[in-house]
Amino acid sequence: MIEVQGLVKSYGGRRSVRALDDVSFTVPRGDIFGFLGPNGAGKTTTIRILSTVLDPTAGTIRIDGHDLGDDPLAVKERLGLMPDEVAFYPTLTGEQHLRYYASFHKIPRAEARKRAKESLERFGLGDAGSKKLKAYSHGMKKRLALAQCLLHEPEVIIMDEPANGLDPQGMRYFRDLIRSLNHEGKTIFLSSHLLSEVEQLCKRVGIIDRGRIVAVDSIENLTARLAVGAPAILHVIATELSDAILEAVRAISGVTAVERTEAGATVTASPGTDVGPEVSKSIVLGGGKLREIRTEQRNLEDLFLSLTKGGPA
Amino acid sequence: MNLLTFFRGLPQVARQEFLANLKSVRLLIMVAVLALAVVGGAYGLSGGPGGGNLPPLVVWPHPAYETNGSHVASVFVSDPFGSPRADVRVTFSSSFRATGDLGEARTNASGFVRFPMGNRTDVFVAAQTGTVQVGSQIAWFPSLVNFTWTTDQFDFGGDSVRETLAVHVVDRSGAPAAARLSVNGTYVRDVDARGYGRLGLPVGPSNIMIEVAGEAETFTVFVFEDPFGSLFGTPDATLFFLSAVFLYLIVPIFAIVVTFDAVSKERVQGTLDLLLSRPVSRSGVLLGKFLGSFAAVAFPVTLVNLVGLGVITATSGESPSGGFATAFLGFTLLLIAFYVLLQIIFSTLAKTSGTAVLFGVLLWLLFNLLYNVLTLAIGALLGDPAARFQFQLYAGLGNPSAIYQQLVLLYAPLNLTGFLGGTAIGGDVLGAAAAVWLVVLLVLALWVFERKAAA
Repeated sequence: MIEVQGLVKSYGGRRSVRALDDVSFTVPRGDIFGFLGPNGAGKTTTIRILSTVLDPTAGTIRIDGHDLGDDPLAVKERLGLMPDEVAFYPTLTGEQHLRYYASFHKIPRAEARKRAKESLERFGLGDAGSKKLKAYSHGMKKRLALAQCLLHEPEVIIMDEPANGLDPQGMRYFRDLIRSLNHEGKTIFLSSHLLSEVEQLCKRVGIIDRGRIVAVDSIENLTARLAVGAPAILHVIATELSDAILEAVRAISGVTAVERTEAGATVTASPGTDVGPEVSKSIVLGGGKLREIRTEQRNLEDLFLSLTKGGPA
Repeated sequence: MNLLTFFRGLPQVARQEFLANLKSVRLLIMVAVLALAVVGGAYGLSGGPGGGNLPPLVVWPHPAYETNGSHVASVFVSDPFGSPRADVRVTFSSSFRATGDLGEARTNASGFVRFPMGNRTDVFVAAQTGTVQVGSQIAWFPSLVNFTWTTDQFDFGGDSVRETLAVHVVDRSGAPAAARLSVNGTYVRDVDARGYGRLGLPVGPSNIMIEVAGEAETFTVFVFEDPFGSLFGTPDATLFFLSAVFLYLIVPIFAIVVTFDAVSKERVQGTLDLLLSRPVSRSGVLLGKFLGSFAAVAFPVTLVNLVGLGVITATSGESPSGGFATAFLGFTLLLIAFYVLLQIIFSTLAKTSGTAVLFGVLLWLLFNLLYNVLTLAIGALLGDPAARFQFQLYAGLGNPSAIYQQLVLLYAPLNLTGFLGGTAIGGDVLGAAAAVWLVVLLVLALWVFERKAAA
């Protein structure tokens, strides 16, 4: 659905800076693709190029089979953009905005009017539709941004930090909305730095750092890849852990280190080993009161930090 | 790229730009300014009441005699209507250049001043008030009658015909005389207590008779049809001054004020990305911005111009010649197009609203002030007079405002251009220059927008 190949964007003349360097990824139809990266990594630049606002320096982009360079209008017709900064014309009303934007898509006037009304209702702006934008709160603008993004029923929806500046209810609303759009068959390109949000919504992610793609895969595969070669860590929550018990645990084959903690102990074992059953057995037999043993999961955050060297470029 | 693609988004953007501008406060303000200049100018210049060019001060100098026979200068200072001007400084000089070398005095409450001259037979008199100085000469020579008079002709009607004759009469001692005034043998009126009287005369020669105590003097006064009378005050002349003086300066400001942030505002407020992500082409957006801004300026300006034409017709009783009026309306649209395009380019380049405003001010200054200074300087640098002549002849082609002015002149009636100097450049060259300007600005605007719109 979205195919990006060798995308380059450089600014400036002779001593140009490469904002994007050989960026390639593919988003299949119907996918929710998470696009991650530290601030300044090139997320917004990529999105502005995808949404035909910015011209790439090199590379090809195909959206729904249409080449962005050869047939930008076909791409634009299929695209809904929800920009990071929701900015509108302060002296137009919400409804005027939607009708103005609808006028660019080949939507008949009566139909545009109908859709604008419906969409304002759908996003809880029914009463605000006739108010000028200068009277809108941030949350209302976000909802209007959604309305304009979906008005022409695009196949591909590009969202840049959609949850930015939203309260917890708003964020949940957005998550549910994205899921339901996905159920309708829309392809969603979601850029965010909120890892938890991406983790909840996306199967596949692309991670960009300093203008380069450092990983594109499913979250499962990426975390599994991260886990390979890394020691397994068990968090033991227990009381009455005698020294003898800890010694017994240390003696288990594969265990490399045992450390007493406030809640119990942390056990480190060789990569690829599963020492959980042995550890619990030792504790119980030694007279300790075991509450829980939890194997530490590698999550998106670890992955993100390890791939992006832990900080902004 | 086919033509439909090229223009994609144009009508929508143009309509939006037009409507948004039409509702803006700045447009209202500019319409008010323009209407004041055009309608007020049309009314004032076409010779409505209050026109005419009257001197603020009139000096009535007379040669007079003391009882012992020595000379005395008797001077009355008034406004053109004969109301005395008190406490005006009057200087007496032996020559035109020697200001006040014989002495000075101030007029009394009745507007008179007397200054002893001994046996001098001539003196230069000048009255001064504020920054105005009016002078005349007095000469003493033997007279057949026991009174002297001076006259002045004024254009009280504001039609450039000086049909009012004002007369001031004093007796031999320099005191106001009781004089009877007749025109062509018919008594008209007496002068007032200060010796001032006014006669309305027909165009052509009139015989004026002044009688004082049984003595009479007769002389002939000519009221000329002013040589420029056919020029100033005519509908065509009024229209010319409207376009060359008022519109020439105000229309560019109007265009700049409406257009200065046409693109930069979208960028600054962040709406440009959403607009460009629509199924539009950059060229369509830019041309839409241009046409929308152009229409938002052209519509009210043409409306005000039409009202101005109506006012000229109503006050002068005849309308300007059709060709000239049409050219005036049309070329004003061209002037708008020039400045809207210029400002759209700068608006695309401006990163902030402040820069956009600055660019607008500079743009206006460039073509309305700096350009003339520059061409003067370059002309001065060209040592060869022939080269300088050629340069200055065509220098105006580099200035859209000057092209407008010359195009309007080109269509003005010949008697008008004959007096105003006209333009030595033919319509073909001017037309070509205007076309080149338009095309170059349009291409430049498209190119700049293509490159810089979302950079």
